[in-house]
Amino acid sequence: MNLPVEPNATQTKLPLEFTDNHESLKILGFWSFLATDLLLFASLFAVYAVYQSRIGMAGPSPDQLFKLGPAVVETLLLLTSSFTCGLAVYEMRHGHKTGTIAWLIVTILLGIGFVTTEIREFVSYIALGDSWHHSAFLSAFFTLVGTHGAHVSFGILWAITLIIQLAGRGLTTITTRKMYMFALYWHFLDIIWVFIFTVVYLNGKI
Amino acid sequence: MFNRGSQRGRRVIAISPNGPTGNGDEVEARFLAPHFESEGFPWLQIFGYIGSLLLTIAALLAVVQHILSPIGLLTVILILAVAQAALQLGIFMHLRESRGSTWHIITLGLGIVIALGLVGMSMWIMTFKSGVS
Repeated sequence: MNLPVEPNATQTKLPLEFTDNHESLKILGFWSFLATDLLLFASLFAVYAVYQSRIGMAGPSPDQLFKLGPAVVETLLLLTSSFTCGLAVYEMRHGHKTGTIAWLIVTILLGIGFVTTEIREFVSYIALGDSWHHSAFLSAFFTLVGTHGAHVSFGILWAITLIIQLAGRGLTTITTRKMYMFALYWHFLDIIWVFIFTVVYLNGKI
Repeated sequence: MFNRGSQRGRRVIAISPNGPTGNGDEVEARFLAPHFESEGFPWLQIFGYIGSLLLTIAALLAVVQHILSPIGLLTVILILAVAQAALQLGIFMHLRESRGSTWHIITLGLGIVIALGLVGMSMWIMTFKSGVS
């Protein structure tokens, strides 16, 4: 179903997702959601910043625990997926349905690569006995990074449903708005990861 | 409905459904006209990707090579992270794009202020090493 386009809105060369007033408001609403999600991550960052030096009676320090290799691989995968997601929106703006879906599939594959690398990293820590219940630092670490990983996993499921809708309905006012929202969500997660990489991994190696 | 018209020689874009209301929306629309990008080749996205890669590599090398004191290093990598966030917001999240209003920037700004206060004050309060720690 396509919403009616306001008569004069087409003359201003608005992108499809902004042509309808209500769909534009939904995009504004999604920015509000991102602001609240930012507060969720801010709380977890605050907990991590406070507890990163509190390793209790046992457990490794950040420097002993982290290996930069997996973290760098995860960063490169997520940065590239952010780029391909940007290209998907670029293709969408030019009315290319196939291009949008193709870049979305690349984004999903890179996202799966990210989640897989992160799970392997977690498993390697837990295999050494450094589980989340071992120290305050490990609890804060697994909660912060795990919450981000859960967001990315949800984003992958969202992108899959988006591809089904795009393939079935084409580029309409509604599907482009959903695609635009997904892009906002995905780039937002990339920003959060940049701060995790900086505050958790790089800071642990200083 | 977007009524493009002329009012005292200046171009006005009304953002209310019934055209200019005279209640201030014309003023808002005049300064915050819809702004959308339409490039022929995704140069901006490529620039954003290369920029974010360079910023990440710079932060990584600075830490691995230990080019500064710990406090100096932390400051540098935090500045690099903020720069990369600004790059993502500006290029990939189309922060400047809006339809006549910029409420999303105000919402995001409020979120950032509270987030910085939350993290900063938590760290500050825990620097008082009293009986509980």
